[in-house]
Formats: sequence, structure tokens, C-alpha cells
Amino acid sequence: MSQNRSDAAAPISLLLLEVGSMDARLIGLSLERHMRNKVCLTDNMAKAQVVLVDCDRQGAELALRRIPPQQRLGVVGYALNPRECGTKFPTIDILGKPLNLDGLPAALSRAMASPASIPLLPAQPAGAGPLVAEKTKSLGDSIDTDDGAELCGSLEDLPLAPNSQVPDKFFFDPEDYLIGQLFRAVVKSQASGRPLAVAGLHRLIRVSVAPVPLCLTAFRETRLRPISMTQLPLATTRLVLDPGPDDPSAEVAFASEDLLWNVAVWAARGRLPKDTDPYRVVRLKAWPNFTRVFVPPHALRIAALWVRAFASPVDIASRLAIPQRYVFSFYTAAQFAGLLEHDLGAAKKTSPTASAPPPPPPPQQGRRPSLLGRILRKLLNAV
Amino acid sequence: MRSEQAVHNKIIFSGTVGAGKSTAIAALSDIVPVATEALISDGATTLKKTTTVAMDYGVLLLDGGEKVMLYGTPGQERFSFMWEILAEGGIGLILLINNAMPDPLNHLEHYLTAFDGFIAKTAVAIGVTHMDRSNSPTLIDYRAKLRVRRRLPPPAVFRVDARERDDVAMVVRALLYTLNPGLIDA
Repeated sequence: MSQNRSDAAAPISLLLLEVGSMDARLIGLSLERHMRNKVCLTDNMAKAQVVLVDCDRQGAELALRRIPPQQRLGVVGYALNPRECGTKFPTIDILGKPLNLDGLPAALSRAMASPASIPLLPAQPAGAGPLVAEKTKSLGDSIDTDDGAELCGSLEDLPLAPNSQVPDKFFFDPEDYLIGQLFRAVVKSQASGRPLAVAGLHRLIRVSVAPVPLCLTAFRETRLRPISMTQLPLATTRLVLDPGPDDPSAEVAFASEDLLWNVAVWAARGRLPKDTDPYRVVRLKAWPNFTRVFVPPHALRIAALWVRAFASPVDIASRLAIPQRYVFSFYTAAQFAGLLEHDLGAAKKTSPTASAPPPPPPPQQGRRPSLLGRILRKLLNAV
Repeated sequence: MRSEQAVHNKIIFSGTVGAGKSTAIAALSDIVPVATEALISDGATTLKKTTTVAMDYGVLLLDGGEKVMLYGTPGQERFSFMWEILAEGGIGLILLINNAMPDPLNHLEHYLTAFDGFIAKTAVAIGVTHMDRSNSPTLIDYRAKLRVRRRLPPPAVFRVDARERDDVAMVVRALLYTLNPGLIDA
């Protein structure tokens, strides 16, 4: 087996190590679409030249230690906080999350050129078999089992009052994702009255405005969701005049608002669109159409509270005693769906709870849930 | 936020003829719903052959044997005298509007006015049905209509297929959270 590329044109053989099912799906789709000739995935350790490891996962360290020492593999990591993670894995090149695919080939090449010396601390447990890539689970497995962590990320909370600049990691640039182009298509189509389409992906997303604003696409959720979550290299998509359906029998119509909500909430992963002030008050103009859109964790509670009064995302999270990342995801989706109302006349900054609606009663541990709570439990179990 | 004391354990389903009230109750109920259907004898015959003349009655059985009754009001206007009587003491209102009927936004207005006192004391969540047969007016139009009424906070308005338990349950969940956003959802 050759550990180094003898032919410069041969794609790098990459093994995903301790990478969650959703990330594996996203990375696989992105590589297949944009780097087919540069990088190919393998689940065979013997054939791999480089491994990519999610350094935030608990099993990352052990998995690296289990790499046979004679196998001089390049190792690239990725983590939410690369700098902090670098102290734990000092010999590894660590990229940030979400993974920037534009920078990946260079990182893989660097790793191949100088295979990492993984510190082999404890001996490999007896009986531990050869390392295999984590089995890819079905899409969305982790959403039910991991409290939406893969959907809404794992960002920590901001302080309740602004005291310094909000770090960049709390924001994303919609132009790097499908939502940027889709939003532009809907806005332009509505302004011009002409049907447009987002082209450049496996399927078209057609936007019509009459008689009602619709998006039509043959994408199924299982494909559209990972594409929405992935950073798309510049010029992957383009707006064109609607050429008509590419697969009429498979095309499904969505209310434009509903599709914008979905694509945005999948892109957000617990972040806000860039240039958003998380301390600025807004109000939800209307409930999202929750029978037809993707419902992120705590979304109904957030909606019920946020239609009542102007409040900032940070305030809403505080009032509901939930992590801010859930509210940030909701905010992002509502923003692109056109459901937010900005308080243009009022003070832009508010101290926590200054304008928020009255807080709901805190959960009472150990006490029997209220009647409404019991009905809710019944409905959730029944659904 | 309202007191949960002094209310009967019942949720009211109301709305236009053919909107799917009986179907929605059947989708949620833990018992075979009790219905009082009769052959239609007025102008609604083009919509369906039978309609509810007194009420539908279904039950949600909670842990410990507690019951929540699901009452469906008759949709025909001539039975409107029963609406407030049935709603008396209820937890809240699920309003279903048939989008395939002529002028559904006027129907919305009519029912909101009829239940105005009850909604003021409780809450309402709205399901728009038959949007597959008629996609206009849109949910955006319904929201605009509600804004004109200046009712705050704006109630939830969802597209609903009354045959789908998930859809009906989602409208009821929205009603519950409207009553108390502090409910814990697990």
C-alpha cells in the first residue's frame, strides 16, 4: 500500500474517524459534488492516506490512539474551537466547524506530507479489532437522541447583557449557504413577477409567484437538508429564469415561506445570520406553519412567547430557560421566512427582560404536571 | 396566563361546515367519537351528505384515567345558539376553516366574533383545511385578516389535514402553548 500519492492526479483517500452521521453525510455529499477528483472517501483503514477526525467527540482521542503505529497516516481534525482543541491534539492540524471545504484539500495535503505522530498513551485494548469507520446511521437519528445537538450545534450562551463584541462563531454568512441564493430568488421573483430558479445543484428549485408564492423542487428532504447545512463553494448555484420542471412527476410544491424556513433552520445550526444583534428586540409577526415546516427543539414555546411582545433572542432564551442556540436557530429561520417584525422606533438595545413578555412559571420539579402539561404529554406520546 | 382551576377538561372544536371537525376529533380521540350526524337539509348539501346537528364528542385519556373531552360544535349556522353553551368552561378553541368554501376569510371573521368572549378568556388556534383543493386564500391572507382584528398575540394558523393526527395534535399543542408558553414539552 502506498501511503503517499505517487501520482499527483490521484485523489486523496480519506477516512472519516469519529465523525457523526450527519457530518459524514454532509462531508460525503460535498466531496462528491465539489472535490471528486481531489478527495475520495474510504472506510478501509488500510487504504486510507489521511483521516479526518471530529475532535469534539468524546471518542476522538481513543480512536486516534487505536490507529496502528506502523500506519503512518496523515491526520486532520476539526472542532468548534480549534485553538482550544489544539492544546489537546498539538500535533494535528485542526480546522474550525462548520468545516470549510475550501480549505480542506490543502490541509489534507499538508497532513499527508507530514503524518502526525499520535501519542500512544495506553496500549490498545486487547481484542480491539481493526478500526472501521463509524457506520452511517439514517439521517436525523441524532436529532431525536441528542436533543438537537447536530441541528442546533453546541455553542455556549452569551451573557444576558452585551458586555463585549460577540465572537464570530455565533454568526454565519447566508451567502455561503443555499439559503442566501434561495432567499435572493424568492425576493427577486416577487419583485419582478418573473419565475426564477436556483440552478447548479442536482435538482432545480423553481420559484413562482402567481397565483401564490411557491417553491417547486424534486429534492427530497433527505437530500435538501444536508445541502442546506453545507457551505457551498462560491458560484455553485446561480439564478436563472425558470426553465420549467426537470422532473415533473417528482416535483413537490412548498409555500415559499415554508421552504425558506426549512433551508434557513438547517443552515443555522444554532447561529445567527451575520450582522444580527442578539440583543436587539424583535417580535414574531405570526406563527410559522408548524404542520408543514421542520420544527426545531423548543420551537412552539419560542413562538408562543415571541408573538406576545418585542424581545431579543437572548431574552427569549432566558425567559424560557433554554440554551440560546435554539432561539438563534429559530430567529434565523423566522428572519428568512419573513416572520420577524423589527421595532424600528424603540431603543435598539434593551437590558434583559426590559421589554420581554412576562416569564412563564418555572418548571416545578417533583410536582405533578399541570392539566395543560398532561394534555401536552399525551399529545407528544401520541404523535 | 389563566388559571387552570374552575375549568372543565374540554377542548372545543368549531368551524365551518365540512372543515373536518368530526374528522379531527376522531383523529385524536381515544374512544370512538360519539357523533350526531344527520342528512343535510340546507344549502350545505354540495359539500357533504351529512353534518353534525348537536355535537361530536371524543375523549383524550390522560395518565391516571383523567379525561379531556373533545367537543365539536355543529357547523351549520342555525345551530349557532349552541356554540357558546358548548364552549362554556372549556380550555380553549380549535377553529377549523374550510378553505374550499366560498369566502373563507369571512367565515373566519364570523367564528372569531361568535366566540369572542370565550377566546378572550382562553385562547384559539386555527387550522385551515382543504388547502389542497383551494390554495387561496393563503396563510398570509389569514394572518392579515387577523391583524386587522388587532388581536394580540396573533393566534397560530396552520395548514391542516384533519385526517392526520399529527396535524390536529400540532394545532392543539399550539393552543396549549398559547395558554402557557412555559409548558415543558417532554
